[in-house]
Amino acid sequence: MPKVDVDHSTSIEPISVRKVSKWKMLKRDKWLFLLLLPGLIWFLVFKYVPMWGALIAFKDYSPYLGFWASDWVGFTHFERLFQNPDFYRILKNTLILAFYETIFVFPAPIILALMLNEIRFTKYKRIIQTVIYIPNFMSWVIVASLSYVFLTTSGGAVNVIIESLTGQTFNFLSSPEWFRSMIIGQQIWKDAGFGTIIFLAALSGVSSEQYEAAIVDGAGRFRRMWHVTLPAIRNVIVILLILRMGNFLDQGFQQIYLMTNSLNRSVADVFDVYIYFSGITQGAFSHSTAVGLFKGVVGIILILSTRYIAKRLNQETLF
Amino acid sequence: MKKTSLGISLGLFVFLLAGCNNDSNSEANADADSNSDGGEERLSVSIMAPSFAAEPAGEDSPALQAIEEYTNTDIDLQFVANANYEDRFNVTLASGEFPEIMVANKEPSFINAARDGAFWDLTDHLDDYENLSQANEIVLNNTTIDGRIYGVYRARPLGRNGAAINKQWLDNLGLEMPETIEEFHEVLRAFTNDDPNQSGKDDTYGMVVSEWEGPWNTMQVWMGAPNQWGFDENNKLAPDFTFDEYREALVFFKELYDEGLVNEDFAVMDSGQWTEPLVNQEAGVFVDVLDAANRIQNQITEGYTEENQILDVFGAVEGPHGLHTLPTAGYAGMLAISKTAVETEEELKRVLQFLDDLNDEEVQNLAYIGVEGVHHEIVDGVLDITSQADGGTKFESEVSDLNQFQMAIPEENFMEQPQTALQEKAAALMEENMEFVVANPAEPLISPTYTERGQQLDNIIDDARIQYIVGQIDDAEFDAEIERWMGAGGTEYIAEINQAYEESQAAE
Amino acid sequence: MVVKSHNTPLGRVFDVFNYIILAIIALAMIVPFFYVIAGSFSTESELARRAFFIIPETFSLNAYKYIFSTPTFIRGIGVSVFVTIAGTLISLSLTLTMGYALSKSRLIGHKWYIYIVIFTIIFQGGMIPTYLLIRDLGLLNSLWALILPIAMNPMWLIIVISFFRNIPKELEESARIDGCTDLGVFWKIALPLSKPIIATFALFYAVQYWGDYFNALLYISDNSKYPVMLLLQNIMTMADTQFGEVDTLVEQPDESLKLAVIVVATVPIMLVYPFLQKHFAKGMMLGSVKG
Repeated sequence: MPKVDVDHSTSIEPISVRKVSKWKMLKRDKWLFLLLLPGLIWFLVFKYVPMWGALIAFKDYSPYLGFWASDWVGFTHFERLFQNPDFYRILKNTLILAFYETIFVFPAPIILALMLNEIRFTKYKRIIQTVIYIPNFMSWVIVASLSYVFLTTSGGAVNVIIESLTGQTFNFLSSPEWFRSMIIGQQIWKDAGFGTIIFLAALSGVSSEQYEAAIVDGAGRFRRMWHVTLPAIRNVIVILLILRMGNFLDQGFQQIYLMTNSLNRSVADVFDVYIYFSGITQGAFSHSTAVGLFKGVVGIILILSTRYIAKRLNQETLF
Repeated sequence: MKKTSLGISLGLFVFLLAGCNNDSNSEANADADSNSDGGEERLSVSIMAPSFAAEPAGEDSPALQAIEEYTNTDIDLQFVANANYEDRFNVTLASGEFPEIMVANKEPSFINAARDGAFWDLTDHLDDYENLSQANEIVLNNTTIDGRIYGVYRARPLGRNGAAINKQWLDNLGLEMPETIEEFHEVLRAFTNDDPNQSGKDDTYGMVVSEWEGPWNTMQVWMGAPNQWGFDENNKLAPDFTFDEYREALVFFKELYDEGLVNEDFAVMDSGQWTEPLVNQEAGVFVDVLDAANRIQNQITEGYTEENQILDVFGAVEGPHGLHTLPTAGYAGMLAISKTAVETEEELKRVLQFLDDLNDEEVQNLAYIGVEGVHHEIVDGVLDITSQADGGTKFESEVSDLNQFQMAIPEENFMEQPQTALQEKAAALMEENMEFVVANPAEPLISPTYTERGQQLDNIIDDARIQYIVGQIDDAEFDAEIERWMGAGGTEYIAEINQAYEESQAAE
Repeated sequence: MVVKSHNTPLGRVFDVFNYIILAIIALAMIVPFFYVIAGSFSTESELARRAFFIIPETFSLNAYKYIFSTPTFIRGIGVSVFVTIAGTLISLSLTLTMGYALSKSRLIGHKWYIYIVIFTIIFQGGMIPTYLLIRDLGLLNSLWALILPIAMNPMWLIIVISFFRNIPKELEESARIDGCTDLGVFWKIALPLSKPIIATFALFYAVQYWGDYFNALLYISDNSKYPVMLLLQNIMTMADTQFGEVDTLVEQPDESLKLAVIVVATVPIMLVYPFLQKHFAKGMMLGSVKG
């Protein structure tokens, strides 16, 4: 197999010769700038103009008084966060769950896409594809309510089957040990199918000649998967993984909240639930913004570390 | 060079965007103009209120026009979909563009805004108005912020809590409606063990509870525990779980659970599934709001009559310390008047007069059942909402949600459609409950610590209670949880509440 | 796959296994949806009685009759369709143009632009500043407020950039030799080669616009401009006992109505995928990239 990836970001394009002055480069690339401009303006207007909102983490913001009339309080909100007796528990829960999400939920659509890619009956493939993308549209409320119906120890279908096989039942819904598996399972169920779309799009770039060449080389089924299919989506995987790190501490509030109960809260408290209750229901805008900033800083550190590792592994990282 | 061109195009972009909306703006202005030409004395108010209907009543609604006529006021309704009304409330505060009247919940952002002077203090004004002066003192007190009234509450039944019970089972077993906690316990035992449905099988149990903590709160007060806060031996305010009665209730709950009288999986039961065992007649008792019984009975038999009515209701049972029950807050949000939109005291008086007028019987009828001959008919004194019959949508698009800015002070005073016996009994019990509801002395008091960590604090005790009931923790561990609560801010919370209480006493 | 290759026994076992597993997965994913559909056609008492079913005992059209008896939902779908189509077109234009420009590392400051984008993945201004911006732009109560604040997804933009990087240089070079400007190359070479990507992100954006109710909640006050998802959200949260008791004034919506609204609100967007599916077919993007 030839080396599959060309590192485009560092390859020098013929016309971009170093000697050209900046002015000339600007002039040469004027059309590119034109293409860039609308999007860039959008980012500045809709993403950067409201960015002053991040500063309310350092104020005691009251919507009625407005930004300027609210008092500056420095790092008070951060101190409060770190001094919260539950902080380390919340941090730990969030990190563990995020870690599981990264190693179980993140690869699920990739595996599913690879499996689909091996299906040769186009009709079958299309039906499966269409079906597995449906759960994405089911709200968490429905997912939670059906989870109860299937998993409850009082006659839930899953426990009935398990009981008939093993003679015992499992408290999936109430025991802290099962909480994370349940959350991960629900996420895979809901999002894996939809997530395949992007990988299937990447796979559409693989030509049949590549497979033919691999066959000529005597590559078997699995080697072809390893050497042709996987490399074709490797770029996307790496980029998605790096970007995912930026939001590493994000968990869907709604899902977690709906699955939390008095018996499993010890493992279910995560930042997004904390933010919800301190920010939305208690009106503590400044405090929840501070928590958001803290999460963001963690995100930046993780994104940069992952990028560093990826670069060491000779992966294209785009930036 | 790049910077300037960027600035220019940015400006251009913004201009283009702004240009898109000109139409709707001018439209709104035109509307405002056309409205102002009826009578010079007419007051003009905007009201922001939550809406539940897909199509809440709008400006062309004859019912709204009749209300405007009656109150001599132009009403501009700003309905906000109820899903996350709070968010919209907050951005409205931030925008500084206030409607004259806003429905507000006593949540931190409203509290803060009221303290910062966003809304009129109505404490000394309400007595000047015929209806508003008759507001319920308990409820009014519940709505206060630092002892002051910043809004006219929307009244709801205080004595709404109670229980639904399977009457057929009682009859089958020859049992009476329970009146004491012992009888209640006996009924649950019999419902579980004595085959109340006469199926010959062990397929029933006493009471269904879900992960929603409401039923425990209610039954706890039956058992004599205070409603969230009570006075300890030193006459200081203390949280309910520090009282012996609370622990008695806990032991009782644990007994119920250990004897299998309550569904085993209650701690995780989705509240969406809560009524299912009652409908399927697997469970016989359901502690919730009294008006739920009618809804559940309808699920058992749609359009039931007295012959096939299975459920009955009771308000409360007498505990070891007498007959008590848990009240609701007695109100659902309040109508607050903005100081930005209503600038002078003169204007305030007019707006208050308008609010007062809204409580008149004529207006209540318009807001709840619409215009006679258009939305409803009254035949022989019996109300028939004709515009709702046979899937008609006239009622929904012209009347629904007009009651969202109704206060029902001093009382609900509109005509109702004929009620079932069950509904009538539930309504009567709500009245009866009023006699023995236990007020929460700390309800109007505000603690900064609780505002900040309330959810966390509540979770500690709520979780401990559930864990105790299912046997995961014992008394000593429950005490440890109380210690944890104290350490997590509970101590400060108690001190702040007591301080706030003393201040409020001193003020009176 | 076009190529016929002899299948090893192991490969055959894998095939059987693969087909069966995928069928099971698909089944597990669709069965709950069947429940939603079945429930929407059933009666209140049945929904209260049976925890789960996919064939209703009594078939009832009441929920749908109600939905289609008011103009609200149909209008809501109309709003959603408009926002989804207009929004997707705007989003694609912005994302593809910016994505193409940033895929060229020769662009001055190219890295900084990417940092600008990535920064917004991690930090956002929040609800109130965004609201004030929308107000100052004069977009309150305008359908543009449902489109512009979410017109670009920085994450997807980054992926688009990476896809554009994979377009073979040679093709672009030859077009340039033929006298094309960057604009021409973008239009005549890059876009036609990127159909699967365009289809993918058209779908992503469409799903995003269709599913968004929060912007409507904040920015739209005229209920004739409510998208269908806000109507759905409103019905779903009406009986929310999680945050307090259910209001006595509010008549609880029927369970079957809720499910029917879910069906009405989600089926239209589900139909988009099969429609776009053919664009995901192999070979649309020339394979020479990777060889």
